[in-house]
Amino acid sequence: MKGTSGTLDLVCPAGTPAALRAAVDAGADSVYVGFRDETNARNFPGLNFSRADLEDGLAYAHGHGVKVLVAINTFPGAGNPGPWRGAVDAAAALGADAIIVADIGLADYARRTHPGLRRHLSVQAAASSPEAIGFYHRELGISRVVLPRVLTIEEIAALNKAVPVETEVFVFGAMSVMAEGRCSMSSYLTGKSPNTVGVCSPASHVRYLDTGDTLLTTLGGYTINAFSETESACYPTLCKGRFVARGKTSYLFEEPTSLNAIGILPELMAAGVTGLKIEGRQRGRAYVAEVVAAFRRAVDAAVRGEPAPPTDLVAMTEGGCYSAGAYRKAWY
Amino acid sequence: MAAKPRQAKLTLGPVLFNWAPGRWRDFYLRIADEAPVESVCVGEVVCSKRAPFFEPVLGGVIERLEAAGKEVVHSTLALIMNEREMDTVRALAAGTDLFVEANDIAAVALLSGRRHAIGPYVNVYNEDTLAFLARHGATRVSLPGELPAQSIAALAGAGVPELEVQVFGRLPLAISGRCFHARSRGLNKDGCRYVCAEDPDGMEVETLDGDPFLAVNGTQTLSYTWCNLAGELAELRAMGVHRFRLSPQDTDMVAVARIFRDLLDGRRQPREVRESLAGLAGGTPFSNGFYYGVEGVAFRGPESGASPPASV
Amino acid sequence: MRQSHPLAHRLVPPLSPVLVAGLALRALPPALFQPVLGLAMATMRRRHAGAFERLAGLGEPVFLIDPIDLPYSFVLRAGARAPSLTAIRGGHAVRATATIRGPLLALIDLLQGRIDGDALFFSRGLVIEGDTEAVVALRNAVDGAEIDIAADMASLLGPLARPARRLAGAAGAVYSRLAEDLETLRRAAIAPAMRRAGADAARLDRMDEAIAELRRRMRRGRMEKP
Repeated sequence: MKGTSGTLDLVCPAGTPAALRAAVDAGADSVYVGFRDETNARNFPGLNFSRADLEDGLAYAHGHGVKVLVAINTFPGAGNPGPWRGAVDAAAALGADAIIVADIGLADYARRTHPGLRRHLSVQAAASSPEAIGFYHRELGISRVVLPRVLTIEEIAALNKAVPVETEVFVFGAMSVMAEGRCSMSSYLTGKSPNTVGVCSPASHVRYLDTGDTLLTTLGGYTINAFSETESACYPTLCKGRFVARGKTSYLFEEPTSLNAIGILPELMAAGVTGLKIEGRQRGRAYVAEVVAAFRRAVDAAVRGEPAPPTDLVAMTEGGCYSAGAYRKAWY
Repeated sequence: MAAKPRQAKLTLGPVLFNWAPGRWRDFYLRIADEAPVESVCVGEVVCSKRAPFFEPVLGGVIERLEAAGKEVVHSTLALIMNEREMDTVRALAAGTDLFVEANDIAAVALLSGRRHAIGPYVNVYNEDTLAFLARHGATRVSLPGELPAQSIAALAGAGVPELEVQVFGRLPLAISGRCFHARSRGLNKDGCRYVCAEDPDGMEVETLDGDPFLAVNGTQTLSYTWCNLAGELAELRAMGVHRFRLSPQDTDMVAVARIFRDLLDGRRQPREVRESLAGLAGGTPFSNGFYYGVEGVAFRGPESGASPPASV
Repeated sequence: MRQSHPLAHRLVPPLSPVLVAGLALRALPPALFQPVLGLAMATMRRRHAGAFERLAGLGEPVFLIDPIDLPYSFVLRAGARAPSLTAIRGGHAVRATATIRGPLLALIDLLQGRIDGDALFFSRGLVIEGDTEAVVALRNAVDGAEIDIAADMASLLGPLARPARRLAGAAGAVYSRLAEDLETLRRAAIAPAMRRAGADAARLDRMDEAIAELRRRMRRGRMEKP
C-alpha cells in the first residue's frame, strides 16, 4: 500500500463515487469522502456517499492500492449522537482505512468501540501545538493530525520535531482565514452552524443577483459581495466577503484566492510533513482529475529532487488567483 | 428538576478589547468594589501582543478582586500560535493554586488532571465531550455562544461539570492567525501599531448595503449585536444552568451586573429592565437568535412568541 | 426576498458556431426537438438513475436551462416521479425553481463533467438565479452521474454506434475550425470598443465611490436623529 508512514501521502477529495474514481485514476495515494448527511463538513445538497457508494468506492480504491479516509468531522449535537456514531460504525464495518474526526467525544467513542480503526484528527479540531497534538495522541489515540492553516513552514518544521504523530497539511484549494472549526460567522447570519450541520454559507441561504454589470451575493439577506463584470467570483463565504470598515470598502478578512503550495512541496517535505491534502470534496470530477494529476507529477518530481513540472491551475481557483497562504509570514 | 434551589452566580468574562492599562485597571478595581458578581476573568484572550501592557497592573487587580471576595479566573489565549504564547499558558498552568480557564485544547492538555475551567472557545457540543473534559479535571464549562437552548438543556442534564452561558455582550464568532484591525489599515500583524486600541468595543463592520453586522477586535471577529439573554434566564435556570457570563463592553458594567443580579434574585422582571439595558447598550441592537436555534443576529422579544419566562 | 432585476442575465453570448447555428435555427418551432429530448430523458432515467436519487429532498424542482447562444431554452422538471425535458422559446413565463445560463458548449461540458462547475462560476461563465440549493444539488447530481452523451446516444443506436461516433469526431474537428475563424472576426470587430471601455471604467469607479459615500452619510443622518 502507498502512503504508509515515512512516505508522502497525496490525500485527495471526492464528493461522489465518480470523483473518487477520477482521483484514483489521477494518482491519489488516499481519497477522503463523507457520508450523505450532517456528519461531515461538506454536507452539500446532492453530494457525498451512501453506505453502498462507500462500499463500491472502497472496492475500487483498494483494487488500485489506494486508501479511503472517511471524514466524520462535524460536532455531534447534544442529545443526538446517533448519526455520528452510526457513521463511525459504518466506516469500521465497511473497511475504511481511517476516519477523520474533530470532536473529542466522538474520537473517544471510536477509540472505545473500534480500537483497530485508524483515527486522523480533522483540521476542524484546530490542534496547532505540540501540547494539543500530544494530548490527542495520548488520550484519544490519534495517529495523524491535519494541521490548521495558521502555521508557517518554519512553525510546521518545529512542530514535526516535537510530535509523535504524522502531520498532514493542505496544499491546494479553498482556504479559511479563520481558525477552522471555531467560526460561527455563518451561523450568525443563517442559523446553521458549520460545526454541527456541516456547511458554511449553506446554499439554501445564498442568493445571486446578476444585474448584467454586477453580480451581487447575499447570505441570509445580507449583501456580502459585489463583483464587477470583469472580476472573478468566489465562494459566498463571509471570510471572503467585501465589507465596509471605517468608511473603506475592502476584502477585510481575505481576498478571493485559493491556496496553492505546489511550488513549495520540497519545503513542506523537508519540514517532515506526511500528508499533502487537496481541498474540494464539493468540486466536480474535472477539478479532481486535473488538480490531482498536477500534484501527482509535482510530488513525484519533488521526491526525485527534480524541479516542479510547470502547471496551470488558475482556472480552478477562487478569484482567479492563488497564494502560498499562511505558509509564508507575509500572509499575516 | 433540581433537588434544591441553587444560588445563581455571575461571572464577568475577560476584557476582550485593547483598553489602555489605566482604564483596564480602573475597570477591574470598580468591579471588585461594586459589581455583584461571584467570579471575574482576567488575562489576554485575543492577542498576546497586548499582554505586556497590562501585566504591570495585573497583580494589583487580582489582589483587589480577591480581597473583595471574588473568585479570580485566569483566562488563556484562544489561539496559541507559537512557543512564546505557549510559554504564557505554561506559566499559568504551573501556578497550581490558580483557577485557570482553558480556551484552547493545548491549555486543556496542560491543565489535565487538576481542577480547571473550560472557556467558550473550546468546542463543547455534546455529552461525550463534556464527560471527557470532566474526567480530565474540568469543573466548569462556559459553553460556545452558538449553542441552542435544546443543546444547553441536554448538556445541563448531565449534571456535571457546572455550566456557564454568556447572557450579555458581543459574542465571539471567530479567531484568526491574521489581524484584521492591522489589515484594515494596510498594516501586518507584526507592525500593527496597536490600532485595535482605537476601538474599545471593536471596529464596526458594515455590509455593502451599509448594515453594521460584525465587529473586529484584532484577530477576533465578534457579533455587532450584543447578546442579551435577560429574558431567557428563568428558562436557563429551569434547565439546570446556574452560572451566567457577562462579557465586558465599553459601558457601565457594574450597572449591567446589578441588573442581572436583580433578575436572578427575582427583584426585577425582564420587561422592567429592557429600557435600562438598551440605554447601557447605547443603541446597539441586542440579539438572542442562537438560543432559539435561528440566525444568531436575530432578537426575539417577548412579543414574538418566545415562551414566557417561568418564575425565577 | 429580492426579486430578479429586470435587466438581469445580460450574459453576452460568445460569437461561436453555436450562436450562428442558433440564428439559423430560429425559424424552427421548439416542438421539433421534443422527440430527441424525450429520448434523452428516458436514457438519463435508465442509465443514470443515481442522479435522481441525489436530487431527492428537493421536491419537484423546475430548472430553466438557458443556453445564451441558442434561441431556445430548456425546462427540466427534475422530480423523481415524472422527470421531463422540454424546449421552449423565451422562458420568461416559466416559474422555475432556478435558472442556469451559459454558453451551450459550457453547459454540455458541465453535463458531462468535463468542466468544474465552481470554476465556471468563478470565471463568470455561468449565471445562476433563484434557489441556489437546487442548482448545487443538480450540479452535484449531474457531475456524479458520469454522463457521456456520445456513449448514451450510442446505447440507443446499437449497431450504428461506431459510425455515429466517427461522425461525431469529424463534426468536432469542423466545429473547432469554425470557432477559430469566428474568434478572429470577433477580435477585429470589438477592437475600437475595447479602447473606449478603459476610460469608461475609470469614470464609473469614481461614481461608485461617490454613491457609497452618499449612502453612508444618509444612514448616519438617519441614525443620528432622535
